[in-house]
Amino acid sequence: MAGSIPGSGFAEPALAVAAEPPLTDRRWDALRRAARARLAPFGAAVLLTAVVVALAAPLLAPYDPLAQDLGNILARPGRAHWLGTDNVGRDVLSRVIWGTRVSLVAGFVSVAIAATAGGVLGMLAGYAGGRADGVVMRLMDAVLSFPPLVLALALGAVLGAGLTGVLLALGVVYTPTFARLMRGQVLTVKTREYVDAARALGASGLWIARRHVLPNAATPIVVQASLSVAFAILAEASLSFLGLGVQPPAASWGSMINAGRGYLQQAPWIVFGPGAALFVTVVGLNFVGDAIRDGLDPRLTR
Amino acid sequence: MLLLVTGGVFLLLHLTPGDPIDAMMAESGDATARESLRRELGLDRPIAVQYVVWMGRLLRGDLGRSIRNGEPVIENVSRRIRPSLELALLAMTIAILVAFPVALVSAVRHNTAVDRLGTSFALLGICLPNFLLALLLIFVFGVTLRWLPISGYADPLDEGWSGVRSLVLPAVTLGLALAAVIMRTLRSSLLEALGEDYVRTARAKGLSEGLVIRSHVLRNALIPVVTVVGLQLGTLIGGAVITEYVFALPGVGRLVVDAVFARDYPLVQGVILLIALAFIVSNLLVDVLYGWIDPRIRIR
Repeated sequence: MAGSIPGSGFAEPALAVAAEPPLTDRRWDALRRAARARLAPFGAAVLLTAVVVALAAPLLAPYDPLAQDLGNILARPGRAHWLGTDNVGRDVLSRVIWGTRVSLVAGFVSVAIAATAGGVLGMLAGYAGGRADGVVMRLMDAVLSFPPLVLALALGAVLGAGLTGVLLALGVVYTPTFARLMRGQVLTVKTREYVDAARALGASGLWIARRHVLPNAATPIVVQASLSVAFAILAEASLSFLGLGVQPPAASWGSMINAGRGYLQQAPWIVFGPGAALFVTVVGLNFVGDAIRDGLDPRLTR
Repeated sequence: MLLLVTGGVFLLLHLTPGDPIDAMMAESGDATARESLRRELGLDRPIAVQYVVWMGRLLRGDLGRSIRNGEPVIENVSRRIRPSLELALLAMTIAILVAFPVALVSAVRHNTAVDRLGTSFALLGICLPNFLLALLLIFVFGVTLRWLPISGYADPLDEGWSGVRSLVLPAVTLGLALAAVIMRTLRSSLLEALGEDYVRTARAKGLSEGLVIRSHVLRNALIPVVTVVGLQLGTLIGGAVITEYVFALPGVGRLVVDAVFARDYPLVQGVILLIALAFIVSNLLVDVLYGWIDPRIRIR
């Protein structure tokens, strides 16, 4: 759990990974691994449930997430509505179920955008070096000189309210992390003997980059991506909470929580239904990310 | 660097779909009135010209005027700085007051139930989004127990106690998230420092345990904490934006959100630029702090 980010889900997990000092205490390490071995299945179960819920949302949701029932507003959780109803009588559980789609899409797509863009840019910077390196890395520095949430907020506004805007905004915000990581990796891999060997055999630059550098530089990118998904989900929820992202009446966890703010006293379930879903998902994904890191990164599993 | 940042901020806002004139005049306003307003604000000129004009003013310290209330951006911001600073200061104090004792106890009694409680608390603080924690606190202390006000702001420097009360929940929200990060880092770096040879030496020469911890362990464990807090500054600013939004605190973060949704270009540009500047400066301060904590690290 090195990607330690409070609150809004905006930060740079990669650097935090580097900043965590190695634990010298062997016993503690073993304990931690054991704890993780117990937690990873929990994380996997959460992830699996979330994916199934997202895919089968139309089948699982007991009600239409958009159907208003004005005769039955702010109903307490009960047999008819497991998580109660909101201020216009919509079933909270159904909206949480449909919101799962938004959250998962946001988490995976924005990280995919960032990993691809960052990967390509980092590869370009690291492999080509020289001016390309300078331009790309200055650009990344510029992105990093804004507080992430503020940047995403401004970008989201530029790209227009809606899920696509938020996905692209988060993609941009997370890109520098991947670009830096990739560049660093490529710089190391580039000096390996097998790269020299390939070049001596007459392979073209592009071929070497694709066949030799990329596979050997990809592991940290995968690790970083798996740790980032949870934070991307948090970030999407934060932006939706502020009013960007999926627009009403469609359901997303963040916007549901924002809408329920005014009813904390009469109907706290409007906030805490989606809140619990968000929290459990993020915790679960964190465990999965940790497990993937432990599995793929031999330096950390001594 | 700053050129890139300013250019970026400028372009960003001008690519925004949506017309600030619409925001200002609502649906009313006939075409001629709109055109004259557009000319007055310089929004009819080519983007490149607008940029040069804007940069020229920027270099003279003039960030332009808010489209909505017509006042200079600087004034808009400076009016909002006090609540934000008070919030940040209080949150930082709470974070340190919570994180240090918990981390110390966790590290010294590590692998015990106390330690596990501490680490679970940290995990909770990291995975619980800011706005959810805020609403949880509002629910418990504002709505159910009715101990504290749930929104609004009074300046503690002017209105004393009621001002402090208005800041308690926001500061705890922001402080706990930070406390979780500090605690985690401090705990693992304390554990590491406790295993070092110099600690054994200090104990061997008969120093009391308290003195060992204070002058040998804690001091050496601080560096990673400063690093992580430095890395988290941006996150902290983001957290402040959300916290101010939830608690309706009239701070800079709230100003950003309002300006973005009102499409008040000059105000958004100005505020984001100032925030980026503050962010860059505080990162520099973190670097200076390194040298102060650890004299071995001095900027070459």
